[in-house]
Amino acid sequence: MILKRYLPLSIAISFGLLTLIGLLAPLAPISSLLLNWAGLLLAVALILGVLNLFSVHLKRLFSGRDVYSGILVLSMLAVFALALLDGGSSTSAGDGVRTAFTWIIFPLEAALASLLAFFLLFAGFRLVRRQPGRWSLLFLLTAALMLASSALAFSQLLPDQVSVLLDQFQHVVNDIIVVSGMRGILIGVALGTVVLSIRVLVGLDRPYSQ
Amino acid sequence: MDLIRVVGVELITTAGVMVLTALLMLVLSWRIRAGRQIHLRPLKPFSALEGRLGQATEDASQMHISMGRASLTSKASATSVAAIAVLDRLAKDGTANGTPPVVTVGEGTLLLVSQERLRRAHQDVTRATRLPSGQAHFIAHETMPFTYAGGVASLMQQERVASAVMVGRFGPEIAVISDAATRKGIDQVIGTDNPTAMALSSVASDNTVLGEELFAAGAYLEGKPDQLAALLTQDILRYAVAAVILGAAIFRLIAG
Repeated sequence: MILKRYLPLSIAISFGLLTLIGLLAPLAPISSLLLNWAGLLLAVALILGVLNLFSVHLKRLFSGRDVYSGILVLSMLAVFALALLDGGSSTSAGDGVRTAFTWIIFPLEAALASLLAFFLLFAGFRLVRRQPGRWSLLFLLTAALMLASSALAFSQLLPDQVSVLLDQFQHVVNDIIVVSGMRGILIGVALGTVVLSIRVLVGLDRPYSQ
Repeated sequence: MDLIRVVGVELITTAGVMVLTALLMLVLSWRIRAGRQIHLRPLKPFSALEGRLGQATEDASQMHISMGRASLTSKASATSVAAIAVLDRLAKDGTANGTPPVVTVGEGTLLLVSQERLRRAHQDVTRATRLPSGQAHFIAHETMPFTYAGGVASLMQQERVASAVMVGRFGPEIAVISDAATRKGIDQVIGTDNPTAMALSSVASDNTVLGEELFAAGAYLEGKPDQLAALLTQDILRYAVAAVILGAAIFRLIAG
């Protein structure tokens, strides 16, 4: 019981301190050794993740007759077969896995990413309907002004004086209000990270055990 | 010689900050254990989490927890560690109430940790050592954020989910997940440290944990003395940094 409790703790603390020293002092061999080990662990975790995905959907296919799970299982098997046919080479001209990624996965990712503007637009409308108050009004006004000023500045239809005013408005919103807010948030996140890291290093927080 | 001096200064500064922070936490923890009362300002998302647990028990619906896609070996691991604190609480209470949560992850190490946490919660309630399958799902690799979002959204559509908790590292893909949840009428609690994701989730949900509030999850949900001490330390450090920034700004203003 003591071994089970304290062994992971001592390993975590020692490796945490070693990593910290490796980051501060120019100890390339230690850093590179730890990075290699972490890389190996990540690869094993990824394989387990893929096996989890496969088993969950295989079970759904047979127990629930889920068509989408069937498609996912078949796709996984197809890509695996492509990888086998490639013979482990990732640089050859007939790289099947790379082709699948280039022509299927990346365009799908890009398609979903391109829908972000619409998701945001709908979320904005829902926010205004859900909370019709001064903050929603401020959000709408700022969004409309930012969009309008960008469009008008681009079109060059406005007189120079108005364009300068719009530029100043954009500068105030983007470079002062937004940047200072983001910096404030990031400083808070950094402080939270420092405190949490120290808690892990001294063994108060144990993500590896309970 | 210069390199040694620079490294020495960095090492001493970092060690100094760490030791001071650790000492501050230790002293505060000791004072809290001795009976010092701590008043936490109410944070709506954490109160909402408690409500969601009760709701899941009443209508026998499941809670969906998305843990994001920050590896435990990456620079954003602290976010995932904070997310694990949320998972711990929800897994314990949910399993005890007969409605264990469904967990989705976008990274391998998070799958292992969440399976272990769910298994422990399950073991505490049923004494069974094996976790029933299908409770923790790996969706996609961390380098494919929109594939992850699509997988989570699809799972939300298929399962009988009443509330969704998204805590951890997310990027713009949070909008896809959040939109799917909203369309299905699923209540959401979102917590992330990424400014873009925070902006998107603030529009989508009223219960958004912003930035450093995510690291306060343990203190709010469990309230152990050392967690409260860490939260107080975080606050003190924030005031110190704010004072330094303000002082520097005033100094520059005066110095011209």
